Amino acid sequence: MKSTTIITATLLLTCSGCASLGVEPWERDVLAKDEMQLNADPVEAAIDDHIYFSKEASSGGRGFGGGGCGCN
Amino acid sequence: MADSSVNLIELRGNVVLLDFWASWCVPCRRSFPWMNAIHHKYADRGLVIIAVNLDRNSADAKRFLERYPAAFRIVYDPDANLAKEFGIEVMPSSFIIGKDGQSTARHAGFKVKRQDEYEAAIVAALGLESLLE
Amino acid sequence: MAVVAIEMARTRKNEQFISVALATATCTLLGSGLPTPVDAQEEPSWNINTAAFYYGEDGGRVQDFSIKAIAERMFVDDRVLTLGLAIDALTGATPSGAIRLDVPQTLTQPSGNATKTVPAGEYPLDDTFRDIRVALTVNWQQPFGDTNLFNVGASLSKEYDYLHVGLNAKVARNFNKRNTTLSAGIAIARDQIDPEGGIPTPFSSMLDVGDLSNRLGTDSKDILDVVVGVSQVVSRNLVVQANYSYSYSDGYLNDPYRILSIGDSVSGDTIPRTPPPGVEGPSHEYIFESRPVERTKHSFYTQAKYYMNGKVLDASYRYMTDDWNIDSHTVNLRYRWPLGASKFLEPHLRLYSQNEAEFYRLSLVDGAALPAHASTDYRLGNFDAITLGAKYGWKTRSDNDMSIRVEWYQQSGSVPANLIIGNQAGRNNYPDLNALIVQFSYRFSR
Repeated sequence: MKSTTIITATLLLTCSGCASLGVEPWERDVLAKDEMQLNADPVEAAIDDHIYFSKEASSGGRGFGGGGCGCN
Repeated sequence: MADSSVNLIELRGNVVLLDFWASWCVPCRRSFPWMNAIHHKYADRGLVIIAVNLDRNSADAKRFLERYPAAFRIVYDPDANLAKEFGIEVMPSSFIIGKDGQSTARHAGFKVKRQDEYEAAIVAALGLESLLE
Repeated sequence: MAVVAIEMARTRKNEQFISVALATATCTLLGSGLPTPVDAQEEPSWNINTAAFYYGEDGGRVQDFSIKAIAERMFVDDRVLTLGLAIDALTGATPSGAIRLDVPQTLTQPSGNATKTVPAGEYPLDDTFRDIRVALTVNWQQPFGDTNLFNVGASLSKEYDYLHVGLNAKVARNFNKRNTTLSAGIAIARDQIDPEGGIPTPFSSMLDVGDLSNRLGTDSKDILDVVVGVSQVVSRNLVVQANYSYSYSDGYLNDPYRILSIGDSVSGDTIPRTPPPGVEGPSHEYIFESRPVERTKHSFYTQAKYYMNGKVLDASYRYMTDDWNIDSHTVNLRYRWPLGASKFLEPHLRLYSQNEAEFYRLSLVDGAALPAHASTDYRLGNFDAITLGAKYGWKTRSDNDMSIRVEWYQQSGSVPANLIIGNQAGRNNYPDLNALIVQFSYRFSR
């Protein structure tokens, strides 16, 4: 699909430009907070996903990890 | 604003474990009990532990220290000058600086399973026979 | 390696040489007014997240009472076992797909054992929607190397007429001082459908009571999902992510209980029918739906979380497109507003819109050739939806988290003009949905 190729290429380009973005390891105090996690409330997310999957034609699409304190 | 004051030249002749930590760093909660144990074991054999705090606000660090008390020296580096000098890439990070002032080991992160490895590096720097049980 | 010697002035306060004199026993220090009664040396090994929730549509439609729990057991060095359990009790009715008429309608129940009569002017609803559903998930997370994370998991769910079994795995790798994370995941599932009375042959007629000659037994579908994504720390206060998902389903994709009315080509009213003498059966002509046996979906999702002096804005957008010709857009906005040190309020707005599937119909036309596929399922139709609500959270005396969320979900749709025939134009044809969502959560660690 043509739009698939465009979007994947955009994702990869975004990633290659990533080397200039970001913070130092000791500047992650805010990002370490519970409320700043990308999936801060997995139970609520599961509940919502289930409601909308049952009532609409779309589903999921949500992501994974990253962000956070970046420790270890 | 407290300056970070770590005079490593003064400490030559000792082995220095320089550890960079922050109150929000979860693995640091595990590294502190370990550093306390290492301090008790090797302090009288020439090991000096210096834990450099990188919190912007020292009140957060002090709250951490109430929960995870430290037997070793704490230094405050809120502007991260020391962290930048050492090129920290992850939290926490620690460096073993030998008796001659040369950095002999660098540990990224704190893994409980690698405690023996960390300890062995300190023992080697101290020039001791293995005291590992 | 470099020798580093840093000489800087000491401050007058001598603050940097805080040596907390610690004797061999640590317990003597713990008594001095610590906020939580936790042994300083031990981290919690369990994080448990529970919720009770209610979803209720008006008009006698679906109601769901549910309890959910996710338990994380932490092992040394960031390895985590996660167990999930969900139990749902469902009651209420759902639109069957037959159109409303100005006369009463009688339909055979899905079981084939009885009929039900619907008054004039009402949507024929299928009210045999009474069920208990149990779902289990298990996941193992393991770091490997310094910058990689691996997850593997399984899922299982069972309800009266449905069984789902699935496996999933994902890997994530950090780059650029952990500012960038690339992830990839895959999930496969096999779902088995075993409806009451057996699966009706697609496009077969709704038959009289006791006649199960058009039933096929059970069927299944296979689903493959692949997701790739990147997350990026942009600044001290901003983290973003973007994902692409691919989903492929193959097998029985129909809703076994949904029907289409067969309408007169001029009036649009459903063709009447008389059951044989002494037999109960449908009062009009209805046939069971037929969807394609394959479906391919592509989704693009992006999310940002932005911290502004204690408040957090969470904004996301998802675009979905599939080979059933459905396109959808989802915008989600949450704004977390701290109230004092231990409470917060989080309003939430969700906006959704989709257009209808290529084979979506309001009804079929008597005498016209059957299309390749057709369904009146309102969930494949053309509609906009809005969710508006708020969550209020607080810390308990033992420093655990509780919250309550109340939201209102509304769907309003329309049938494209070219699908409306005759008298159907005068009626509101889309079964608009209004639902209340209430959730109570409790999160604690052990």
